[in-house]
Amino acid sequence: MALQDYRNDMQRCSRCSLCKWPPLAQIKSWRFSNVCPSMVWGNFHAYSAGGRLIAALALLEGRIEYTDKLVEIVYQCQMDGACDVSCKVTRDLEPLEAMLELRAKCVEDGQLLPAHMVMVESLRSDDNVLSQPKAERGKWAAGLDVKDIAREKADVLYFAGCRHSFDQDLRPTARGVVTLLERAGVDVGISGREEACCGGRAYETGYRGEFIKYAEHNIETWNGAGVSTVVTSCSDCYGTFRFHYPKIGKAMNFEVLHITEYLDLLIKGGKIKPIKKVPLRVTYHDPCHLGRLSEPYLPWVGVERKVLGQIVIKDPPKEFRRGTNGIYEPPRAVLKSIPGVELVEMERIKEYAWCCGAGGGVKEAYPDFALWTAKERIEEAKATGAEALVTACPWCERNFRDALGQNMDKMKLYDIVELLLEAL
Amino acid sequence: MALPRNVLRILEDIVGPENISDEPVVLDTYAFQYLAETVTGTKFCARPGAVVLPGSTEEVQAIVKTCNRYRVKFKALSTGWGVWNTVGGEGTIQLDLRRMNRILDIDDKNMYAVVEPYVIGAQLQVEAMKRGLNCHIIGAGANFSPLASCTSMVGHGLSGIFMGFSARNPLAVEWVLPTGDILRLGSLGSGAGWFCGDGPGPSLRGIMRGFMGAMGGMGVFTKCAVKLYPWPGPPVLQIEGLTPEYTTSVPDNFRFYALAFPNWDRFADAAYKIAEAEIGYVMGRQLPPGLVPLLLVRSSAEYAQTRQSGMADELMQEFRHAFLLVLAGSSLREIEYQEKALKEILAETEGRIPSLTQDPEIEKTGFSFLVKGDRNGLIFKLAGTFHTSFGAATAWDAAVAGAKTGEELKKKYIEKGVIVDDAADAAWGGLYEQGRFGHLEELFMYDPSDPESAKGAVEYLAEADEAVLQRSLGQPLGALPNQAAGVYGPACFNYQDWMRRIKKAFDPNVASDPSFYIEPEES
Repeated sequence: MALQDYRNDMQRCSRCSLCKWPPLAQIKSWRFSNVCPSMVWGNFHAYSAGGRLIAALALLEGRIEYTDKLVEIVYQCQMDGACDVSCKVTRDLEPLEAMLELRAKCVEDGQLLPAHMVMVESLRSDDNVLSQPKAERGKWAAGLDVKDIAREKADVLYFAGCRHSFDQDLRPTARGVVTLLERAGVDVGISGREEACCGGRAYETGYRGEFIKYAEHNIETWNGAGVSTVVTSCSDCYGTFRFHYPKIGKAMNFEVLHITEYLDLLIKGGKIKPIKKVPLRVTYHDPCHLGRLSEPYLPWVGVERKVLGQIVIKDPPKEFRRGTNGIYEPPRAVLKSIPGVELVEMERIKEYAWCCGAGGGVKEAYPDFALWTAKERIEEAKATGAEALVTACPWCERNFRDALGQNMDKMKLYDIVELLLEAL
Repeated sequence: MALPRNVLRILEDIVGPENISDEPVVLDTYAFQYLAETVTGTKFCARPGAVVLPGSTEEVQAIVKTCNRYRVKFKALSTGWGVWNTVGGEGTIQLDLRRMNRILDIDDKNMYAVVEPYVIGAQLQVEAMKRGLNCHIIGAGANFSPLASCTSMVGHGLSGIFMGFSARNPLAVEWVLPTGDILRLGSLGSGAGWFCGDGPGPSLRGIMRGFMGAMGGMGVFTKCAVKLYPWPGPPVLQIEGLTPEYTTSVPDNFRFYALAFPNWDRFADAAYKIAEAEIGYVMGRQLPPGLVPLLLVRSSAEYAQTRQSGMADELMQEFRHAFLLVLAGSSLREIEYQEKALKEILAETEGRIPSLTQDPEIEKTGFSFLVKGDRNGLIFKLAGTFHTSFGAATAWDAAVAGAKTGEELKKKYIEKGVIVDDAADAAWGGLYEQGRFGHLEELFMYDPSDPESAKGAVEYLAEADEAVLQRSLGQPLGALPNQAAGVYGPACFNYQDWMRRIKKAFDPNVASDPSFYIEPEES
């Protein structure tokens, strides 16, 4: 759907500001009662989801023209979808979809951010968003005895993603995934050097052509390889596979699992047995793309109709993605399976978790904003009394690491995979 | 109309460059408003000259003085929800008080909180509950600003039976007058703290807000002490479930009921008796028949299906003359007493408990809904927006009479197809202050993106106003002061003349945007 298809949603925004807070019932304190990093950072109403709907309407109506400020408002947002969840507690609107279409329109109209252009250039030349040489993509797996699905058949494909492939600090997690899966007897393979970006960041920043290229390529490659399951340790990639890939309408003959889902299954099936005690009080950060944004895409083609006078309905009935069906329990189950680990929850969790700050092209274009967002989450984590912050996404981990480093903060930080490895 | 550059520069010096904007994209997000179509025919009202985000009383004062000096109008908003927040003309400065968002104090012993404009009800409530206290949540829902509601706007919530209403709950107030002088009302005015709105110190509550509030037309309120009330529940209400099905278990010393009656008379009698028995904690018509099916569905399509299939008929019939009630006892013995009292009242009024609300899950949902006021926005779901008609603050029997009139009138517009067919009964409201007054406003839903629907809504509203006058039903809750003054003033001792005098006395330069309050001179 294009931006103009959401025009009625824009006009039906009630400017109630519910997009700025967690679902009201879930507010637990004044201190942690915001849910939209962009709004807290930008302060003007324009930086909220409701504000962006109004800005989009004003643009469509010709009341405003493109300016640097408009482009900043559009892009100074992690597209984390918390606004969407809060709005949909009571409404049948699509603020996140409309904001994604607004970005696509910006790109279509040539309103580009230099930092995103660098990222897209890197995609075009090296199939990754980190401006790294493609030739080095498979290096993370050096020395591992693991199948290459280009040459050998494997039942399960492990997709590392750009961040786990190139970020040297985070590579141990990717290697850990292979170790865990192999120890559990899983027939796993990787794509190594030939792996290409998922395209998710391109979608989120409005570069639809690039996204489609990667979505088609990856689906075709995995269908062709005959894998039954694609497992990834990157929540960004996972969210892209579940939410955006189905939009292009290509058959996906494989199941997609996040590593935490797979590990949960393997632990419950007795294939992995965490036995070593890891005495640690931890809190878990729900990555947006694993939580609310991983809720599967629900295709809908239809029209809007009025019944009983002015009741607006979608015909055929449309199921709304409200954040209910994200992946919330498997990572918690994995953590709870580790002897000695005590899980304490933050105030903003699951479908209304505060974002790490890295998504939506913000880390690339507005690094200060990204780090501020992460620091806010770290404060929340510390307020629980936890010794360690655990997450399940390399983008979150990278941003938290940078924020902790900038503050010379000693709080421990783990990917769930690392913690599980310690228990084996 | 662009603001003069020198004024912009001065304002920028006051708040810093990051806290002021005259970018069209930013300004338009303040020109767009809920209900704008009923005033301008479009979703946009006038575009402000600039939006300024002050961070303190001192900054507000400096801005207001600058406006007076350069003859520029200003208008402040807190959460900024509703057409009355918009500026009356281009070039007016909009103050967005978002950065003033702190709970400055909660005084457990004297039972009040001191808040800034951008604190919302949900924030204040959770912090108050940790101390065994609670705050009044108005019908708009917990995303409202208690300061704005107390100082500038009319507002009733269903906890009003126990917790007053928005005009009753302000204590001491810090007020930047339209001239830029700071006036401290109540005990604050004599340096005695925040505990009282009426002294020792100046008591100008009536001037400050009258009944309806000046809606931004009488300066800026920067701090307000808000009355708090006992909360005999747990410090934290544990919410269960994932969105949008949030529920909470009803604590042992609380009860949740829907109570249904055979007719309006019995309905009114029962509410009076409950109020007289002083046993209600939250009470009112949160779910009139046209809205009650929303409890069972997620989307508007499901709502429509439920209605069209006839599945909702019985339920709607059960809720025809019904209200919801939360009882709270400070001990188990007290809640047992309250239950007994309620049972007697039901026997006397032929009341009963509809089967739906005996479902434990519905009970948990309803309890959380009523206590937290977190899902009042459901009223927007079906058509995109709603407006209100009738609903004078009056004797409960008179409120019921208003609801009956609203029902009669709405049928015509439902038949025209311009508003939602809600069975013509979406009268929302309750009985407040242990029964001293009540209100039932007839809500009506329409599609703001559909010009025909919006036009129909405006026509209905005009006819409703006329009916109010003809039948002496009292000034409607949703009547904006500027409009109401012309329509109802002549029938009410020309109260608008006094409003104009007050406006002139407090705002000699007409700096504080009068557009939704009153112009100092009659046009």
